[in-house]
Amino acid sequence: MSDAGADARRTAPGEDAEPPALRMRGITMTFPGVVANLNVDLDVRRGEIHGLLGENGAGKTTLMNVLYGLLQPDEGSIEIGGNPVQIHSPRDAAALGIGMVHQHFMLVPDMTVAENVALGLRSSRPPLSNIKQVAARVDELSNRYGLRVDPNALIEELSVGMQQRVEIVKLLYRDARILVLDEPTSVLTPSEWVDLSAVLRSLVAEGRSAIFITHKLDEMLSVVAVCTKIHDGEVVGTVDVGETDKAALARMMVGRDVVLRVHRPQLEPGAPVLEVEDLSLVAPDGRAILDGISFEVREREILGVAGVDGNGQQELLEVLTGMRQPTSGGIRIAGRAVESLDPRAFTLRYGGAVIPGDRQHLGLILDLPLSDNLMLRDFDREPFAHWGVLDLPEIRRRCSELIGEYHIRTTGQNVRVRQLSGGNQQRAVVARELHRRPRFLIAAQPTRGLDVGAMEFVHQRLIDHTAAGGATLLISSELEEVVSLSDRVAVIYGGQFLRILDRQDIDPQVIGLLMAGQRVGAR
Amino acid sequence: MSGAAGDGGSTGQGGFVRSRLGAFRRSRAISDAAFSLGVSVVAVLVALAISIGVIAAFGGPPWASLHALWTGAFGGRSQIAGTLNKMIPLLLVALGWIVAFSTKRINIGFEGQILVGGIAAVVVGLKVHAPAPIPLALGVIAGIGAGGIYAAIPAWLWARRHVNEIISTLMLNFVAIQLVSWLVRGPLQEPTRGFPFTSPVSNAARWPALLHGTDLHWDFAVALAMAFAVQFLLKRTSFGMRLRVTGGNEPAARSAGIRTRAVAVVALVLSGMVAGLAGTSLILAGATGTMTDSFSANYGFDGIVAALLARNSALGAIPAALLLAALRQGGGVMEAQVGTSSALVQITQGLVVVLVAGSGWLIYRRRSVRVDTDAPAVARGPERPEPTAAEAVVG
Repeated sequence: MSDAGADARRTAPGEDAEPPALRMRGITMTFPGVVANLNVDLDVRRGEIHGLLGENGAGKTTLMNVLYGLLQPDEGSIEIGGNPVQIHSPRDAAALGIGMVHQHFMLVPDMTVAENVALGLRSSRPPLSNIKQVAARVDELSNRYGLRVDPNALIEELSVGMQQRVEIVKLLYRDARILVLDEPTSVLTPSEWVDLSAVLRSLVAEGRSAIFITHKLDEMLSVVAVCTKIHDGEVVGTVDVGETDKAALARMMVGRDVVLRVHRPQLEPGAPVLEVEDLSLVAPDGRAILDGISFEVREREILGVAGVDGNGQQELLEVLTGMRQPTSGGIRIAGRAVESLDPRAFTLRYGGAVIPGDRQHLGLILDLPLSDNLMLRDFDREPFAHWGVLDLPEIRRRCSELIGEYHIRTTGQNVRVRQLSGGNQQRAVVARELHRRPRFLIAAQPTRGLDVGAMEFVHQRLIDHTAAGGATLLISSELEEVVSLSDRVAVIYGGQFLRILDRQDIDPQVIGLLMAGQRVGAR
Repeated sequence: MSGAAGDGGSTGQGGFVRSRLGAFRRSRAISDAAFSLGVSVVAVLVALAISIGVIAAFGGPPWASLHALWTGAFGGRSQIAGTLNKMIPLLLVALGWIVAFSTKRINIGFEGQILVGGIAAVVVGLKVHAPAPIPLALGVIAGIGAGGIYAAIPAWLWARRHVNEIISTLMLNFVAIQLVSWLVRGPLQEPTRGFPFTSPVSNAARWPALLHGTDLHWDFAVALAMAFAVQFLLKRTSFGMRLRVTGGNEPAARSAGIRTRAVAVVALVLSGMVAGLAGTSLILAGATGTMTDSFSANYGFDGIVAALLARNSALGAIPAALLLAALRQGGGVMEAQVGTSSALVQITQGLVVVLVAGSGWLIYRRRSVRVDTDAPAVARGPERPEPTAAEAVVG
């Protein structure tokens, strides 16, 4: 803590004696047909956490890629600490003390933490590596900032939150002065987020700066001092977070009023649709991944499953959709006992639908056209195929229906899904899964990484599905999402449902404690 | 640079040119297929140009060589027939590759599958004595079956035992090579026992000529029809969609209820069947109707080059196979007439591989460009909402 003064300066932004840590002026970046950034100005002071707000595709990432040397702007200038600089490559950026934690981590899974940190560094004794030295320094850094990273652990054995810390250690090892974090919290559990925000505060207290890209307003409010909003490639405004409140920020996010609390009609639940009894899944090494889970979801009901990522949610989804076979336990769908479940029977025989947590991995085929993705579950059935031959006009007709009905923004059906934004990709998944009017829906992290508009859209579709008589199992690590949408909330921890709370008992405080593994009121 | 296109600012010029180039690359006006074709054509032209340079650099006569190459491949009726004849196995192997690779399975065992296809054909051709079309039909079916079975071995190993199919298909080539080598010196050797090849198959087992007095037979029409059939299979049938979806993202396909393992196994077996068909052609439409040592003549690998050049398009494989066949056919003439080594053809072919593979990023980039505008989609009215609404909140 060499420079305590920096922190004081942050709270008193009026006296701007020293130049800002980063000044971007008039950045314009055009791609053919698209202006990704137009005349963007951005100032980040020393010791400041600067929030960057905007919908998917608003131009935040483009701006950060310019800063990181991945893109060369058509116009504009960058100053670091008052000195004009040219950043031609990430190597230049690193030399200038700019470090980036990408949304998708850049780590080698089967190498250790220290080896990952050492990647790309020049060894002091080439050609030998000095992993031990690196490990010692990683240990030191990790202790100093409370990161608690074991330098000798393998990346693939670490949780996502831990991996993110490794990314941060990587930057600190290179003594980055300006840290860019792209959607850092989308993968974090609430407690991991608390840890991360503490780390960030201690970093900026040392006089480093951070640029923080996020969709989540709560987080913005809790750590960010100043926030800049980008819309359609242009800066809409920069505000001091202290002077604004959540609703105003949300309005700024989308340029219109957003109902954060979705309107949920009060519904009378009907007969049970999905009944699960004593479901267990044991890993080959004997670890219980799912441990005696029992619940039921009824018609016109949303059962939320709250929990920190990695407590068995993904495996629960895989078992319920037939991707994996449980070790023991029973599943009943619409009153019928299910002998064995596979993904095909799940949709066709039992009328299930699934929004998988990782849409790019499980939900979509990025390099195939939108039309193929929309037809993924229907292409081999009448009226879309006759005797195994696809009926292309019929498929085209259905796809344009879905694109219209679910507001998928695209220039055509033949566009590869990779070319769509996250929000539109998710709309495609939702369209495919819900247009068949499924009996029940299993939705995991349905709004992860989406902007507010797309999020609202997805929430509305979940509610519509439920109101129309469907049952919904909503698996989410977003507490607010679970609480505001669910009729009942189950909390999953270590592969167990710790408790299932009825509507009147839903208390974010209690759920938060349960998510952390504390058995509240369970005696 | 045209004067009108230059913009007023002095600094913006480079960026302008760059963005125009980018606009051309990403223009939606030309289809993806046409773009891919263009890239391949340019790659071939560059490869030819470099090959000419290589001839010149080593003191050879570049233009005379090129002329000999051309006339050797297309100079007359029999040359054209020879080129088209060589095109058949190249095209079929390319199609085999395309089918397997549509599920992202890599079959490099075409040499072996050709060889076993040929063995089956020659056995039928030697042993079955029946009126005209029957031995031919049986030989072709047996060859297709043999190729399929031979590909089923690595497919099974992959599906059940997690054996990498690249390695197992490659290794089975050597098994087939030894098998043929033994057969033509042992059980199937011609009666005089003097030469390492079989007796000719009966005439009833031969493909009838398409162009009389030349090497071109009716199997050429079959190969062309196969190209259209594969194109139809992949693009217009639900089975083809299953293949493409499995290849595009296996976990997503599985979660959509497709039995991806079975789909990939079928793709590998189909791929081997098409290669087996190529093997029957090499015997039953061959000049002598005999099976010799290593009659597959590396078609099993050159056909993959054709698929690469065609960027895995079944119809695109037709011109790609034609080009490689012409190089093969013309290369020999070039060596005989002007003394330029036919190994040059391999240089050209190698350059095509490097250039086509290296230009893949152009196509990838084109396919990765975002196309949606990303404004909140719930917003109604104009494509791009005016920013004033948002500004009003902040201001």
